[in-house]
Amino acid sequence: MTEQRNRLKRFSAIHRLWHLGLILLFMTLSVTGIAWMYFETPWGRGLANLFGGYSGTLEIHRIVGLVLLAGFTLHILYLVHRIDWSNFPRSLFGPETLVFQWIDVKGFFNHLGWIFGFNKQPRFDRWSWWEKFDYWAVWWGLIIVGVTGLMLYNPVLTSDYMPGWMLNVALWVHRIEAVLAMGHIFTIHFTVEHWRPSSFPFNAAMFDGTMDLQEAKHEHPNWVARLEAEGRLADAIVPPPPVPLRIFYFLFGYSIILLGLFLLVFAIINATLLTLF
Amino acid sequence: MFIGQKIVCLLGVLLVALPAVGQDMNTPEEMAGTGYFRDQDTLPGAFRFYSQLPGGEGGLWGLGPDRQKISRSSFKMDAHEGVDDFSPELRCQKCHGLQIKDLHGLRMGIACVQCHRNQPVAGIYHYYSSLNPIRRHAYVCAKCHEGATPSFASYMVHEPNPIAPEARTTFPLLYYSIWFMLILAVGVFLFFLPYTAFWWLREFAAKLKGGQDHD
Repeated sequence: MTEQRNRLKRFSAIHRLWHLGLILLFMTLSVTGIAWMYFETPWGRGLANLFGGYSGTLEIHRIVGLVLLAGFTLHILYLVHRIDWSNFPRSLFGPETLVFQWIDVKGFFNHLGWIFGFNKQPRFDRWSWWEKFDYWAVWWGLIIVGVTGLMLYNPVLTSDYMPGWMLNVALWVHRIEAVLAMGHIFTIHFTVEHWRPSSFPFNAAMFDGTMDLQEAKHEHPNWVARLEAEGRLADAIVPPPPVPLRIFYFLFGYSIILLGLFLLVFAIINATLLTLF
Repeated sequence: MFIGQKIVCLLGVLLVALPAVGQDMNTPEEMAGTGYFRDQDTLPGAFRFYSQLPGGEGGLWGLGPDRQKISRSSFKMDAHEGVDDFSPELRCQKCHGLQIKDLHGLRMGIACVQCHRNQPVAGIYHYYSSLNPIRRHAYVCAKCHEGATPSFASYMVHEPNPIAPEARTTFPLLYYSIWFMLILAVGVFLFFLPYTAFWWLREFAAKLKGGQDHD
């Protein structure tokens, strides 16, 4: 019996590790952040009780926030290490990098045109414009919540370097960016990655590091064609992960998705009980 | 000649001594940061000390909170003096409902009296008030926030509604920052939610037809 090799390697172990770390830290920050934000409601207090009440929730939120910022710093160092400095800055561009390029602008308009039936489906290379957007949105979000989060981490120390009223601004900016990040992940990211008809019910590429070859030919045809033209396709074909591992990825992934939906739905339901101003 | 020598000596002594005197003199900002009830802090009449805001009025090119609309009662020993229907039996929320809807009141359950003290409630700019900005950090904030400074005490506990038009003049940086973030967040959702929905429908339609749809 020949082994069925129909998967294309898409993400390296380190890519998957970054994503896994981000999931765990982001979800912990989401739960503790929402518990804190909704503390005046019974639902918020219930969530906070899971972490030892108000103080415990805030302490965990702060520590996990610091770990996330440390991870972000490590990620930047990793990128600096990965850049081909001998060919800089040209090495930043090309089909393998996540840097936005002119082709992504064209990709966006072609994709929009395809959605509304004006043209055929665009032929993406390794990264489509929305995958790059998702990646850089984490940067933008982390910089905003990171800077404001650090300001709020020790407000007394912060006020040694700037007026204390800057904390009023920091808290609101932190709050709105966090709501934007959670709202985007729990609705748009989940739908695009897992609930589109071509990905439904679960896209495990970011967990097992591979994607179905036929799916790759459909979603990233230029990437597959380029690998083939460069003679690298055969090396990039890998067997599917073992079934128990696939089941584990599915269960883990859906636990996170359900947790996100739980937070989203109850946050909306309880929003009317929240005093913002 | 003798008088001339005396004058030269006197000037010499003054020249040597004056910088030392200058070093001992605190600036109003330094005095404001002591947190102690000192003569210069508490003597009525030195108005400029009491109207100053730690961290600088307005601050950051006038984008910070302003203090232009300080009510007269904020300088009274009893802020409720002359309020016709005031009674010590009334709950603060009856007239100050908005002031309890902030992080201190809602999240931490801090009661008004914990910062504003008991009757008679002094105006926050009254020169003996513990909430006067010159000592607020030491007598009120530091009860919970160890090491609180005058700058820290400029945090607006009762902040204005950041999206209300009034905030544009009372706290411009808060107003503009929050509106920028709201426009960003709403813009992202207004764009991506319909985009994702139409995308889903398009894929569903393509799937029903079967086959690929590439150029």
